Amino acid sequence: MIRLTLRNLNANKIRLALTTFAIVLGVSFVVSSFVLTDGLRQSFGSLSQEIVGTTDLEVRPVSDFGSPKPLDASVEQLIGNVDGVSNAVGQVVSDNIQPIKADGTPVTTAGPPLFGFSWVDDPALSSFTLMDGRAPVAGLEFTIDETSAIDGGFVIGDSYGMITPTGRAELTLVGITRFGEANDTLGAVLTQFPLETARQLFEVEGQFDTVLVRFDSDADPAAVQASIQALLPAGAETLNRTALVDDVNADFDQGIDIINNALLGFAVVALFVSIFIIANTFAIVFGQRTKELALLRAIGASGSQVRKSTMAESFIVGLVASGLGIAGGLGLAAGLTALFDALGAGLPDSPLTLAPRTVVIALIVGVGVTMASAFGPARRASRIAPIAAIQDSVDAPRQTDRRRTITGAGLMGVGLAVGGAGLFGSIDSTPLLLAALAGGAVLVFLGLTLMAATAARPVISLLGLPLRALGTAGRLSTRNATRNPRRTASTAASLMIGLALVTMALVVGESLKQGISETLESSVRADFVSSSNNPITPSVITELGASSAFDAVAGYRYDEVKILDEVRGVIGSDLEATDKLFDLDVTSGALTNRPDTVAVFADEAIEQGLAVGDQINVEFPTGATDTLTVSAIFASNAIIDEDYLISSEGWTDRFGIAFETWAAALVSEDATTTQALTAIASLQEKYPQVTFESQAELQASIAAEIDQMLVAINALLVLAIVIALIGIANTLALSVFERTRELGLLRAVGMTRRQTRRMIRWEAVQVSLFGSVLGIGAGLVFGWGVVTALPDALLTSLSVPVGRISVLVAVCAFSGLLAAALPARRAARLDVLAAINHA
Amino acid sequence: MPLDLIETAPLPIPRTISAASARGVVKSYRTGDTEVRALDGVDIDFAQGAFTAIMGPSGSGKSTLMHSVAGLDDLTEGSVFIGETNLTQLSEKRRTQIRRDEIGFIFQGFNLVPTLTALENITLPLTLAGKQPEKDWLDLIVATVGLADRLNHRPDQLSGGQRQRVAVARALVTRPTVIFADEPTGNLDSKAGNEILQFMRDAVDRMGQTIVMVTHDPAAAAYADRAVFLEDGRIVGELLTPTADSVLEHMKRTGV
Repeated sequence: MIRLTLRNLNANKIRLALTTFAIVLGVSFVVSSFVLTDGLRQSFGSLSQEIVGTTDLEVRPVSDFGSPKPLDASVEQLIGNVDGVSNAVGQVVSDNIQPIKADGTPVTTAGPPLFGFSWVDDPALSSFTLMDGRAPVAGLEFTIDETSAIDGGFVIGDSYGMITPTGRAELTLVGITRFGEANDTLGAVLTQFPLETARQLFEVEGQFDTVLVRFDSDADPAAVQASIQALLPAGAETLNRTALVDDVNADFDQGIDIINNALLGFAVVALFVSIFIIANTFAIVFGQRTKELALLRAIGASGSQVRKSTMAESFIVGLVASGLGIAGGLGLAAGLTALFDALGAGLPDSPLTLAPRTVVIALIVGVGVTMASAFGPARRASRIAPIAAIQDSVDAPRQTDRRRTITGAGLMGVGLAVGGAGLFGSIDSTPLLLAALAGGAVLVFLGLTLMAATAARPVISLLGLPLRALGTAGRLSTRNATRNPRRTASTAASLMIGLALVTMALVVGESLKQGISETLESSVRADFVSSSNNPITPSVITELGASSAFDAVAGYRYDEVKILDEVRGVIGSDLEATDKLFDLDVTSGALTNRPDTVAVFADEAIEQGLAVGDQINVEFPTGATDTLTVSAIFASNAIIDEDYLISSEGWTDRFGIAFETWAAALVSEDATTTQALTAIASLQEKYPQVTFESQAELQASIAAEIDQMLVAINALLVLAIVIALIGIANTLALSVFERTRELGLLRAVGMTRRQTRRMIRWEAVQVSLFGSVLGIGAGLVFGWGVVTALPDALLTSLSVPVGRISVLVAVCAFSGLLAAALPARRAARLDVLAAINHA
Repeated sequence: MPLDLIETAPLPIPRTISAASARGVVKSYRTGDTEVRALDGVDIDFAQGAFTAIMGPSGSGKSTLMHSVAGLDDLTEGSVFIGETNLTQLSEKRRTQIRRDEIGFIFQGFNLVPTLTALENITLPLTLAGKQPEKDWLDLIVATVGLADRLNHRPDQLSGGQRQRVAVARALVTRPTVIFADEPTGNLDSKAGNEILQFMRDAVDRMGQTIVMVTHDPAAAAYADRAVFLEDGRIVGELLTPTADSVLEHMKRTGV
């Protein structure tokens, strides 16, 4: 039997090559994901070592919850005096330091942060090496990392603007530095300042964010660490070199995991869609060999021998596909590395690491998926009756299988139930929730595919109505698309999956946009809302509030507190201004700035049994505990998305120095918009980091953000659609081969080549449209589910982006035309005589 | 048989012009180093309104001759005509149109499009041309081949004989200049086969249809007006108004 298996493979090379393409693609993504991340982990591992360098110990502020309070400046001296400490240098860091280039435009990145550091004047402790010029010593001067210097055209000796949390400053560039050994900044922009300058600019006077410690060479590290820890006040911890490297690694790992998961996401989608295509191809190929298989049975091969032979075929196909996938994965990893470089991600050079684990996974996935896909067709092949060898069974239309439809409906029902439980039930664990949603979706897809065979004929007949205008070619295309409903169903299924997910993403995105715009209209009275993600120094609020153009201005800050032994997010603000700026739907009490008061979200108030006038004990990150009085209950959490809203009076004592995360302003009744804009413009001269948007602009930029998210999601799904189209092309090519005689007959009785091409093309379009209709239907249901499950604050109603979905359908139909191009050409070029005599 | 309908059918055209003809047709294949001449200088005319049988042993070139005259096969040398049109000078597109409008085909086995009903198969050459069938003519053909109650059946719901009758009806529907039939009864039992041959005979006699049929069966050839014998790609003899016995006699005598 094995020889026969090999011969069959050899005879069907091209067909199988088309089939394996999907598997190769899926395995490639799996492999590239591991290759890339293995390489990155390796090089980041050594980068972490580099960054920590010869620092023996680092002292950092910590807290159980909320933002930790920075270390007091005196800690540096305290540590420096410990026996065994050679040097201790305090450092301040800010992640919002934006240098302005000579042409007046600020330096920007595609996401990586813009860090500012105070200069550490001890090469053993500093992460930076001076490459040119001198170190920043005192006053308004700075240094910058060499990559950013080259990219931004920064020249030593020139003066540059700098956007800092305290506003705009002018500083002179005195030197160029290198981060670690190769300036692998991963795209971040790194500036360094004299300590006192940094403290002023970052607004952290008299404090340190960290203290770096170098031990005497003969000191016992553990002992010194212990004596330092003993000296430190509460809320400070020590990390030795190993802990530091682990800590840096953990940060990198988070980023690497994102890349890993994104690529694995592509792989999962590709492989899931592949299953349908491969199962379909095997079904067709075995179907075409019915006579041959029946002959084998007739001359004495057992059903299980036939099944084993066909499964062996799929095993070899899977093996070959995995091999190609591994090669493809290495290529893809190399390509992605180049792409990241081109995008300026500044990843360290990493080798292409093909770990044995990667090869094993690739083989398991590739062979496993292929064999699983072939299982059904192989089982059917083993059940072919020997009598089929002598029967004329040219494409006898199969009756739709009632059992299949019922099974499909059952699977879909279970899928909807599982998915519904995930959406509306109370599954707390995230992995479990995701598993429920994904599992539900997979079951729905499988169910739909089984049921699609029944739906194919009526739906496609309906879709094909307009094609009647094309005459016989159009009518035949519809008949061909419905002649084998099972095949059409599984071909369309692969497209359905991609489209269902895209539609769901579009519906959720559109509904989010709609919901947000409704919220803005109904509960926002403020005319301007801050738009940048930069922290806002409190003086911005004070200065803007002083302007007569504004009636109310408030900043909003976030931190954590402990209430009833549970850590909770809390927002601090000027609550009386807030009352003017937003409609929080206060159901009882009133928003007030009286100290020691708190407003509570209605749902939380009910859960905790709180009412206006009640007192609650609140523990702050500094460790202090106060009793606050409930002053108001508010029922809308669309703007204030935390349960507790505290007056910012006395915030600094309880939380430490804080920046506002965002701010809002309401124009006075007797001021014009122009006056307000002028006031904002003059404020921005001083504080360029703070920008404001009008309500309309805010709405537009939120919509743009959602769209950007959709683009990322849709890129993944386009892959699924491309694979599906390859599947359609493949099925069509096989069908054309199968119908060679029929095509010859049609050509003989007068079908022109053009009509032949048209017939094949429109068949593909109808199959594509069928898949699209199913996919969009499923996507709308999924979208409805997600929208209904999301909190009301985000979403109020379901919005369907009809325009975008229509475009999607048109694109799919057109892609169907493309997929049909080659099979149609082949069909039109058939030699009539040879085709008629085709066995 | 609705004779009144048959009488209103167009009168046969005088049998003086050839419906199809071949002049100096050579068809050769190259297998390895040897050249095989499937047709070796064939000249033949198929008179209008006549039923011609092409006979010969396997490999004699009889099917190749038919395919060549029908424009399905390319020639190495020579010309073929349908009416006065020289097919060898036409583009593939024009030849397809000629096949659609001027030629009817009946093949041995696979004759019908499985997704189309009997009626749709019959009218296929017309609908491909974007034409509507003439109702009277269609009714006449359908009645002649006796398929009135089978028109909405698909090929897989028809018997072999019924399928061939559909094929005959399809060949007749465009009133082609000539119908080419390639072993039309090869897959049928003798009763069904005789039926088909009788339909073809009737089409010639009552509708003035020209038919060229390839067969190796003397009994089938007996339905023709003329039998032409081929051997090794050449015409080696012919019989007018053949009977099964005279054909057998001829074959015995010539060894063909």
